[in-house]
Amino acid sequence: MPDTIELNSISHHFDTASERIELFRDLSYTIRADETLAIIGPSGAGKSSLLSIAAGLEIPAGGNVRFTIDGAEVDALTMRANSGFIFQQFHLMPELDAIGNLALPLRLKGNRDAFDIAAIWLEKVGLKDRARHRPHQLSGGEQQRIAVARAFVAEPRFIFADEPTGNLDRHTSESVAALMFDCARENGCGLVIVTHSRQLAMRADASLLLDAGQLKVAA
Amino acid sequence: MNRVKLVLENSWRDLWGGDGRISMATQTALLFFLMTLTLTSASIQSYLADNLDQMLGSDLVIESPSSLTEGDEAAFRSMAVGLSVTQLADITMTHKEEWARVQLKLVDDFYPLQGNLQIGDTPVATQRAVSRGPNVGEIWIDSRLAIKLRTQVGDNLTIGGTDLRLSAILFHEPDRIMEGHSVAMRAMAHAQSLDGASINSSKGRTRYLVTADEKQLQAIEKWSRQTLPGASVIKKFGGQHPLASFWQRTENFLGLASVILFFMGAVALDMTNRRWLAKMRYRLAIYASFGTRTRTAMLMALGEWLAGFLLSIALASMLAIVAYGLIVAELQGYFPGLRASWHVAPALKTIGLFFLLLLALQVPSFIQLSRASLLSLIRNPAESSYVWQRLFWSIASVTLLAAAYSDNMLLTGMTLMAIAAALTLMVVLTWTVIRLGDVWGRRRAGLLPFAFFMMRQRLFAKSAQVMGLGLCGLLLLFSLMLMRDLGTTMEGYGRSHDGNLMIAEAQADQVDAINIWAEKTGSSVRSMRPFVSAQLVSVNGKALSDMQKPSDTLATLKDPIRLSWTDAMPKNNRLDGGKWWSADTDNWRQISAESEVMTDMGFSYGDTLTYQIGGKPYDFKLVASHAYQPGAGSITFWFQVPLSARAQIDAPTRYMGSMELPEPAWDALAGLWQQYPTLSLVPLQELTERFDQTLGIVTKVTGGYAAMVLLLALFVLAASVSGFSADDRQKNGLLMSMGLRESDCLRLNFYDWGVTALIAAAGAIAGTWSAGLLIYQAQFNLTYNPDILWVAAMVFAMVATVCLVGYLACRQSLKVSVRHLMAT
Repeated sequence: MPDTIELNSISHHFDTASERIELFRDLSYTIRADETLAIIGPSGAGKSSLLSIAAGLEIPAGGNVRFTIDGAEVDALTMRANSGFIFQQFHLMPELDAIGNLALPLRLKGNRDAFDIAAIWLEKVGLKDRARHRPHQLSGGEQQRIAVARAFVAEPRFIFADEPTGNLDRHTSESVAALMFDCARENGCGLVIVTHSRQLAMRADASLLLDAGQLKVAA
Repeated sequence: MNRVKLVLENSWRDLWGGDGRISMATQTALLFFLMTLTLTSASIQSYLADNLDQMLGSDLVIESPSSLTEGDEAAFRSMAVGLSVTQLADITMTHKEEWARVQLKLVDDFYPLQGNLQIGDTPVATQRAVSRGPNVGEIWIDSRLAIKLRTQVGDNLTIGGTDLRLSAILFHEPDRIMEGHSVAMRAMAHAQSLDGASINSSKGRTRYLVTADEKQLQAIEKWSRQTLPGASVIKKFGGQHPLASFWQRTENFLGLASVILFFMGAVALDMTNRRWLAKMRYRLAIYASFGTRTRTAMLMALGEWLAGFLLSIALASMLAIVAYGLIVAELQGYFPGLRASWHVAPALKTIGLFFLLLLALQVPSFIQLSRASLLSLIRNPAESSYVWQRLFWSIASVTLLAAAYSDNMLLTGMTLMAIAAALTLMVVLTWTVIRLGDVWGRRRAGLLPFAFFMMRQRLFAKSAQVMGLGLCGLLLLFSLMLMRDLGTTMEGYGRSHDGNLMIAEAQADQVDAINIWAEKTGSSVRSMRPFVSAQLVSVNGKALSDMQKPSDTLATLKDPIRLSWTDAMPKNNRLDGGKWWSADTDNWRQISAESEVMTDMGFSYGDTLTYQIGGKPYDFKLVASHAYQPGAGSITFWFQVPLSARAQIDAPTRYMGSMELPEPAWDALAGLWQQYPTLSLVPLQELTERFDQTLGIVTKVTGGYAAMVLLLALFVLAASVSGFSADDRQKNGLLMSMGLRESDCLRLNFYDWGVTALIAAAGAIAGTWSAGLLIYQAQFNLTYNPDILWVAAMVFAMVATVCLVGYLACRQSLKVSVRHLMAT
C-alpha cells in the first residue's frame, strides 16, 4: 500500500483587520505517493494554503488530514521529515556553491557520502561543470534544476512544489518540468505541484482545479 | 559528525561576512576587557592572600585609634601567649633644612613577635636580619627617608625636642602588611625614647601584635570587640587582608565601567543580531524544507553561535594575557612582588558570566528563530520586529549586571538614569522629527521630503539606529568630558585653594605657636576649623563592623573621622535636607551628615549615630544633611554637631585650616616642625604633586577606558552602516532605475544620515548634560560648567564622522550595477 495524505472535509480561511476571507470548504482528496498531482486555479484561490495543509505545515481551520507512511498513520512532524520542497524563488543558500547546496539535505541527515551522491545528482541534472558555482553565478533555470535535485536527493516520500516554473521562460520551464516528473517517477515519490500553467499540469497523473472554494478534477 | 562539520562551516562562513566580523570583534573586545580585569584582579587577590600569610608578623593584630588602659592591657596580656604593643603616628621629621612627613612606629622590647626585621648601614648596604627593634635613644629610618633628609647612620635626629641617634637603615618590618598600600616614608624608635605626649595626633594608632592558640585567639577577638569598639582585627588564618576590601571596591568601580562598555557592545550586537536573525530564519526554513526538525535546526543555530563565541574566547584570551602581563609589570610599583600567573577559575567564571549575558541578549533572537517556518519561503507572512522584547532583554541584563557589580548605588543609579533619559529623548525626537518631516514633505517635491518619507517607512529600524549611535555618542562624550574637566580642575587647584600651605592637623597649643610663627615670618592664617577625632561605631545600635557592603564611605567610616561643631551653617555648605539646629540650642545630641555620605550609607533622619570619642561612646540623632558649595574655602566636614556639644565631649580639640606663606617663610618651617613634629602642614605644591600622581593613574585608566569606548563606538557605527547597506543598495538601485543620478542618491543618503546623526547628537548632548548635572557635583565634587564651544565641536565631529562613513558606504553601494542592485 502506497504512502498517502488524506484530506478529509477540510476548510480554511484567513482573517484580515476588517473581514474573514474563506478560501475553501469541505474539500476531500487522497494524495498517493505513487502518483503525480497538479493543483491549478486562479490567484488567491488558496492553492498554496492547500499545499501547506497537505504538507503538514498548516492545520486546516476545519476537517482533518491523515498522513500514512509504510502503512502506519504518522504525525505532521514525521511527514515533514519525509518530504521535500521546490519553490518558485528557488531558495538556494547564497553562501553555498551548487554541490554544497545539493549535499546539504544529506549532510543534515548525517550521510557521510553526501558530496559523492550530490556529484551524481549534479551530473544527472546536467550541471556537473557548475559544481563550484554560487547561486548568483547560475541562471534561473540552472538554479531551479539544482533546487529540484536538492529536493529529491534525500529520497523523500512526497515532494511539494509551489509554482516551480513561475520564474522561468517557457523553454526552461519545460526542461525543469521534465526533470521533476522524471525524478518523481524514477524514485517512486509523490509529487504535488501548485501551478498556473496548464501545460505543466497536463504532465501530472491527476489534475485538480481549485476555484471558488471548490475542488474539481480538471479536464 | 556531518552536522557538526556543517555547523562549523556555517559558523566560519558567517564570520567572514560584515556582520560576523563586527559581532566577533565586539565580543572579543568586551571579553578581552573583562578577562584582563579578572586576571589582574585575581593576581592581586592572590598576592594579598600570600601577603597575609607571610607578612602579618603575629597570629593576630588589633589596631585601634585609642589605647587600652593599664588594667585592660594587663588583662589582655594574660589572655595571650605573647603581646607586643606598638604606637604609630604621622609626624614631620627634619634634618638641617630638609623635612619630610613620616610614619613613626614606637616599639616595645617584645617587638617583633614573629619574623625578623631587616636593617643595614647605608641605603644600598647588604641587609641583615635582627630579632629586636631599636634600643632606647636610637632611631631607624627607611632608605628613601634617609635620602630625602640627606642623613646617614651616626647622625642625630631631633623629634619633639629629643635627640635620637640614627643607628640603622630600616628595610623590612614583619608587620608591614598593616600599612596597607601606604607608601609613606617610615621611621622606628623605642617607645621609651620619646615622651608619648609629644607625638599625639588624631591619626595616632596603637597596634597590638598577639601570638596565641586558636582558642585564645577567639577569646581575644570577642574581648576586643567589647573593649575596643572600632578597632580593626586582622587574623593570619581565615582573616581578610586590610587591602582586600579596598581592592574589591576598585574592582566594583571598574565593574561599573565594564557595564557601560557592555551596554555599548549590546547595541552593536543587537544591530548585527537582527541581520543574523534574518539569515538564520532563512537558513532554518530551508533546512525545514528538507525535513529537518525544528529542534535539530535550533541546536545547529545554537552551535553556530557557540562556535563563534568559542573563537572569541580564544582571541580575547590571547590578547588578555598580553595586556595582563603589561599591566602586572606596571602594578609592581604599587604591589612589590606581584606576579602574572594563571588563574583559571576566575577566568572561567568571567567567561561564564559573559556567556550568560550574551545569551540573555540572544534570547529574543532564539525565540523568534524557534518560530521560523517553511511557510515563509512560500508566502511572506507579517512579522513583528520584537523591538520591545529586545529592548527589555538588553536593559534587563545590563541593569542586573550593574546592580550586581556596583558598590555605589548612587553613581550607578545616576548613570542609568542619564542613559534612560537620553534614550527616551532620542526616541521622542526621532518619532517627532521624522513624522513632522513626513507631514511637511507630503505636498512637496524634492529629495528631502522623499528622504523623510523613506525614514518614516522604517521608523522602528531608524529609532534603533539613532539610539545606538546616540548612546555611543553620550558615553564617548561623557568619558572625554570627564577626562578633560579632571585635568582642568587639577590645573585650577592651585588658584582656587585658599592659601599655599594646608594645616592638615594642629593641636590647640600648636595653634598658638602657628599664630606666633606666622606673625614672625609675615605669613597669614586664612582659615582654622576645630574638630575632634571621632569614630562612628554603630548606627541605631547596629555595629559598623558588622556591615559588610563594599563601599568607599563605609571603609572610610571604619577609621576615625573628624567631627566639627558649629551653630551657623558654614559658608561653604548648604542645607540639603532636614532641619538645622537653632543657635545656642541645649539639645546638643543633634548631628548633620554630608548628603552623599547619607545616601551611600542609607541613613535616614532620626537615626541614632554612636561615636567613640576619646574612649567614650556618644549618641547623636541625625537631623539634617549638608552639602559642599564652592566659593568660601575648601574645608568641609562629613559630620557636624551643635556648638553646645563641644562642652559635653571629653577629647582634645584639634584644628585644620590654611595659611599663605611668603617665599622667605618656607625655610623657617623646619624650626616649627622640630618643636612640633606632629604638626601636619602640607604645602600646596606637595598636595598638587600627590594629586598629580593620583591623576596620572586616573588618566591612564580613563585613557584606556576611553580607548575602549571609542573602539566600541566604531563597532556600533560599523554595525549600523553595515545593517542598512542591503536596504540602501536596493533603494539606490530602484532610484537609479527610475532615472535618478548618482549625485542625487548621494544627496538622499546624506539627508538620511545627517538627520540620524543630528538626532543622535542631540540625545547624546542632552544625556551628557543630565549626567554632568547629576554626577559631577555628587561624585567628583566638580561644578558642571559645559564649554559650549567644545560641545559644539564634538557634535560637529560626531555628525561629520557619521555622515562621512554613510557617504563612503553609499559610494560603495553605488559602484554596483543597477542590474545587480535590482537583484538584491
